[in-house]
Amino acid sequence: MKCERCGSRTATVRYAEVVDGSLTTWHLCEECASERGVTGSLTSLAGPLVNILMGLLEGGGGAASVDSGPTCPRCGLTYEAFRRAGRLGCGTCYEAFASQLKPLLRRIHGSTDHTGGVPSTDEGGHFRRKEISKLKRELTRAVAAEDYERAAELRDTVRARERELGGTETGDVDA
Amino acid sequence: MWTLETMMSEAAGWLDASGPEPDVVLSTRVRLARNLSGETFPCCSSDEEAERVRERVLSAVSSCNYLTNVLVLRMEDVDAVTRRVLVERHLISAAFAEDGAGRAVVAGEGELVSAMVNEEDHLRLQCIRSGLSPVDAWRMVERIDSELERNLHYAFSSDWGYLTACPTNVGTGIRVSVLTHLAGFSRTGRIAQVLKSISKLGLSVRGFYGEGSAAQGGFFQISNQTTLGQSEEDIANTVERVAGQLVNLEHEARSELTRTDEHRLEDEVWRARGILANARMITSAEVMDLASSLRLGVALGIIDAPGLAALNRLLVVTQPGHLGRTCGETPSARERDVARADLVRRSLAGLN
Repeated sequence: MKCERCGSRTATVRYAEVVDGSLTTWHLCEECASERGVTGSLTSLAGPLVNILMGLLEGGGGAASVDSGPTCPRCGLTYEAFRRAGRLGCGTCYEAFASQLKPLLRRIHGSTDHTGGVPSTDEGGHFRRKEISKLKRELTRAVAAEDYERAAELRDTVRARERELGGTETGDVDA
Repeated sequence: MWTLETMMSEAAGWLDASGPEPDVVLSTRVRLARNLSGETFPCCSSDEEAERVRERVLSAVSSCNYLTNVLVLRMEDVDAVTRRVLVERHLISAAFAEDGAGRAVVAGEGELVSAMVNEEDHLRLQCIRSGLSPVDAWRMVERIDSELERNLHYAFSSDWGYLTACPTNVGTGIRVSVLTHLAGFSRTGRIAQVLKSISKLGLSVRGFYGEGSAAQGGFFQISNQTTLGQSEEDIANTVERVAGQLVNLEHEARSELTRTDEHRLEDEVWRARGILANARMITSAEVMDLASSLRLGVALGIIDAPGLAALNRLLVVTQPGHLGRTCGETPSARERDVARADLVRRSLAGLN
């Protein structure tokens, strides 16, 4: 696609900007990106405007180095940009921001664990992976309760399930 | 053939008051939020990405056995008035009516099943049923979703379930909402208390047109607030149970009204009919209030006509977008009020 600023060169940089709490995404060519102050790759996104806004947000006096938290390696959204716009950029953001999202999800939903439906095709072995993590939790409990017979059983089941899973393609989120 | 014209000329199937508890519950809506794995969410995607997502979703829709007779509208081909009509028919959100890349709406016959492509999430699939039927509506939407899933690889994590743009929808991605008419509570002065206890049960309350809309005429949408940590079936059951209790309490409030203040209630109902049948100019808010009184009157047997279905339809067809379509061009608010009064009189004609 063409650069949204000059309209002639090919856009290679995706630049996310947060203004008044809403997220705008620009697709720019290298030249226009650097003119706008977007340097390097998108993952080090640091437009001057974003910096100023974040400086204000953090209560600092417009400090130049502002920690915008982790950045999603896939779409380039920073945690700070998410916090301001309230929308994640892609499925990978959930992994990239996992430690920040957990307490947030607990506050919103009172839970951080999905117990509802899984894709009918179970492509990528999501369902089996979920079963494995449940079995592992049970295994820990069995060990804590010194029920070694049960623990051995569970360990064998976990190994068998993990072998089964090894043959399937892994999904982008859990990989 | 199910076309935009036939759809516009008919009222949505879910307004026909054929479902359970039609005197208190107009409709039940269940929607699922889904995103495609490996694609950027609509908020951050490029036009090309949005376009690709749209074509992938529409191709899955076209090979879904439950979506054989559907209308597919690419939003760039839809004019402003029609967009407003789609909002009023609960087919799209107000935000979706604005411009955005790769947007499309899919509507099944009778508008019982529909989908938005590239709203906040890649796919918002919904099923609307008449009356109180969360569990039935969930089962229907689940069947379609499973079919679509055979051709669409959804973004899903075994910890967090279906991944959505907004963390408030993550997990099941389900929103179950019932559109209720709490006319009794609104008149006994206990509505605030009732709404407060509903929110204590973890459900949220909104107006007729959802998020941000005012509750006019005692119409309230009640829906689940959380989507993670419970199964879809449990969520649907909870809404069904709470709404069921609400229906019983609303019935009690209505009988209390007839016991304590029958004449005033009868007077209100007949005056409402008088105004609706004779007004020469009327706003949509006034129609909503008067139709609410009339609906209560019909439910309590004070008056027999028009029926609940006709009143439900009136609430939708008197909205500005619907009138804009019949008035043509861009009518002023005043012209719309005249056209609205005319439409209402014609709907109630011959009821003397």
